[in-house]
Amino acid sequence: MPPKRMTANQDRSHRYYPGKVEYAEDALSSDSENSDAEASSAHQPAKPTLPKATSFPKDARLAANLSKIDLDARRAQAAAQEAERLKREADARAKEEEEFVTDDDNDEEDGSGREQESGSEEEEEEQEESTSSEDDVPKRRMPAPKFISKTNRKQCSVPVFSEEELAAQEDARRKERADEMLQLQLEKQAAAKAAGKKDWDDDEEGLADEVDDADDVDPEEERALWKIRELLRIKRDRDAIESAEKEREEIERRRNLSKEERDAEDREYIDTQKEEHEGKGKMGHMQKYFHRGAYTFDADDETKQLLNRDIMGSRFQDDARDKSMLPSALQIRDMTKIGKKGRTRYRDMKSEDTGRWGDLGVRDRRKDGEYKLDERFRSDGDAERAGGTGANAYAVGERRKRVDDSRDGRRDDKRPNLHYVYYDPA
Amino acid sequence: MAHQADEKRMLDDRGYTGTLIRGANPLLLFEKPVRDRIVESMYWKEQCFGLNAATLCDRAVELENIGGIYGAAQKPSKFLCLAFKLLQLTPERDIVLHYLRQQEWKYLRALAAFYIRLCWQPKEIFETLEPFLADYRKLKRRAREGFALTYVDQFVDDLLTKDRVCATSLWKLPPRTQLEDLDVLEPRISPLGEELEDIDADRQDGRTEDDSGSDVEVLDDGHGLGNGHDHDNDTDVDGD
Repeated sequence: MPPKRMTANQDRSHRYYPGKVEYAEDALSSDSENSDAEASSAHQPAKPTLPKATSFPKDARLAANLSKIDLDARRAQAAAQEAERLKREADARAKEEEEFVTDDDNDEEDGSGREQESGSEEEEEEQEESTSSEDDVPKRRMPAPKFISKTNRKQCSVPVFSEEELAAQEDARRKERADEMLQLQLEKQAAAKAAGKKDWDDDEEGLADEVDDADDVDPEEERALWKIRELLRIKRDRDAIESAEKEREEIERRRNLSKEERDAEDREYIDTQKEEHEGKGKMGHMQKYFHRGAYTFDADDETKQLLNRDIMGSRFQDDARDKSMLPSALQIRDMTKIGKKGRTRYRDMKSEDTGRWGDLGVRDRRKDGEYKLDERFRSDGDAERAGGTGANAYAVGERRKRVDDSRDGRRDDKRPNLHYVYYDPA
Repeated sequence: MAHQADEKRMLDDRGYTGTLIRGANPLLLFEKPVRDRIVESMYWKEQCFGLNAATLCDRAVELENIGGIYGAAQKPSKFLCLAFKLLQLTPERDIVLHYLRQQEWKYLRALAAFYIRLCWQPKEIFETLEPFLADYRKLKRRAREGFALTYVDQFVDDLLTKDRVCATSLWKLPPRTQLEDLDVLEPRISPLGEELEDIDADRQDGRTEDDSGSDVEVLDDGHGLGNGHDHDNDTDVDGD
C-alpha cells in the first residue's frame, strides 16, 4: 500500500487548518487550551489510533472530559460558585459604600483561585460554543441525560445550569452588551447625520464648543465690553491725531531754529545715542556672542523688552572672566565646545589670522607694473583719489605778495589780474 | 456669472470678461496659495458650486465661524470659501448692502463686510462699515489652531485698520485722517458721542466724580445699531 502522504518525509509535521481531521491522542490527556496546536503538530501518522466517535478535536476532548466529570457534583459546585460570586459582589459594593478596608488578602486568594477555574472553564466552553456556532448542523455531544424522579425534581429549587447553559447565558449577556454599544454608536451616527454634519466638518466638533458665540447671554456685560472697545478705539484715533500734530510741530520748530541750534540738537542726540551704545555691556575678551537670531518677531511690549535686553558682558556661572589664567586648551570663545568630539585647536579668528588686520591680500596685478610706465600711461585711479591730476596735482599755495598788487599800484582794475597763479615746479 | 462645471476660466487670467474689481479679476484679490486651497477643498466643490446670490444666503446662514486658513494642511474655512464665491459672483451693490444690513445673521453680515472691504472704494467702505462698529455681537473666529472669540465691531475694526484679515492681504486703505484732510469724509462721530463729551468735560474740569454708574445702566439697547439716545444723566443725585 502506498504511503498516505505524497511527501517524502513522513515524519514532517502537518500543517494546521481549521476543520482538519486530526487524531491527536495528546489532546485527550491534557486540559490546556493549547491542545489544538499541540494536537496538530504532534501528529503521528505511523501509529494507527483508534478512531474516536467524533472527528473534531475539541469534541474529542470534551468527550474525554465528560467521562471524567460527575455532573451532579459539577452542578452543585457551579451553583455554589455562582452564589458565592454574587455574594462577593454584593460585599464589594457594600464595602465601597462604607469605604471600609477589609482584608484584601482573603478576598484575593479566593478570587484568584476561583477565577482561574472559572476562566478555564469559560474558555473551554467558549471554544466549544464558537465551533458549534460555525457549523450549520451542530454535531455537539449532549451530555447523557440523567433521570431524576419526580421527588428529586421538586427538591432541586435552585436552577442549576450545566456548563453549556452557563456558557450560553454568558454569551447572551455579552451579546446584549455588544448590541447595546452598537446601538449607541448607530444612534450617535444618525444624530450626527441629522445635525447636518458633513465630512469636511469632522475636525471642528470638539474645539468649537469651547468658544461660545451665543448672544444676549448677559446684555449688560456685553454692552459694557463694547463700550470699552469703542473707547479704546477712540483713544487710539486721538493718539494718532496727537502724534501727527506733534510731528508737525516739531518740524515747524526745527525750521524756525537757526542752523547752529539745529546742529547743537543733532549733536546732543548723537551723544545720547553713543552713550546708550557704550552703556551696553561690552563683550569681554573671548566672550561668546549670543545672537538673538534673525527670525524672532516682535510681539507685545513684554516680549519686546525681553528680546531687547542686553546680555553682552554679563556673566553666567562658571564663566571665567580672565581667560588667560586658564590653560591654553580652555581659552576658547565658545565654552560649550570643550570636550566634544571633533574639536579643533582653533581659538578665535584674530589669533589664527596670519595676515594683517584688514589686509585682504587683494592685489591688482595690473597696477604692480605701472611704475615702469610713463606717467601718461598710468591708470587714473590712484591719482584721482590723491586729490588731483595734472594741474590739480598740487595744492594751490599761498599767494605771493607782489608790489603792484596793492591798491595804490593798481592802474587798471578792469583788466584781469593774472599774477595770482603761483606755479611751483617743485 | 456662468456656473460652468470647470471654473478654470474664472481663475484663468487670460480672456476674463467679467466685472473688474480694482482693475483686475476679482478672484485675484485672494493670494494664489489661498485660492488653490479653496478650490481644492471639499466644501467648495460640493457646496459652493452653482450658487447664486440667493442660494448663497442659504449657505451663509449655516456659517458658524469666520476665519481664514487653519490646520497643518491649510484648510480654508467655509467663510473664506463663501467669500471667494461672492467675489466670483460680484453681486450688485444693493444685494450686498442687504446682506450687510439684515439683522438676523451676523455671519452673513461679517461676510458682506469682508466683501465690501475688498471691493469698494475707500469712501464707501468707511461710510458703510462704520455704523457697524456699534454691533457688539459675538463671533467665533477660527484661528490656525483652535477658536477665538471676537465681536462684530472688533472684526469691522480689523477690516478697517489691519493689513491682513482672514488670510487675505487687504487692499491698502488710505487712513481716515487722510480722507478727512481731503474733505472726502467727515470726522467720525462715535455712537458714544454724548457720553464721550461728558467724559471729556469731566476730565477738563478736573471733577473727580464717577460717571461710570450712569453710563452702564441706561444703555438697554439690544444688539444692533446703537444710535445716540437720550438718557437721564443722574450725576447730580448723590447718596442720601
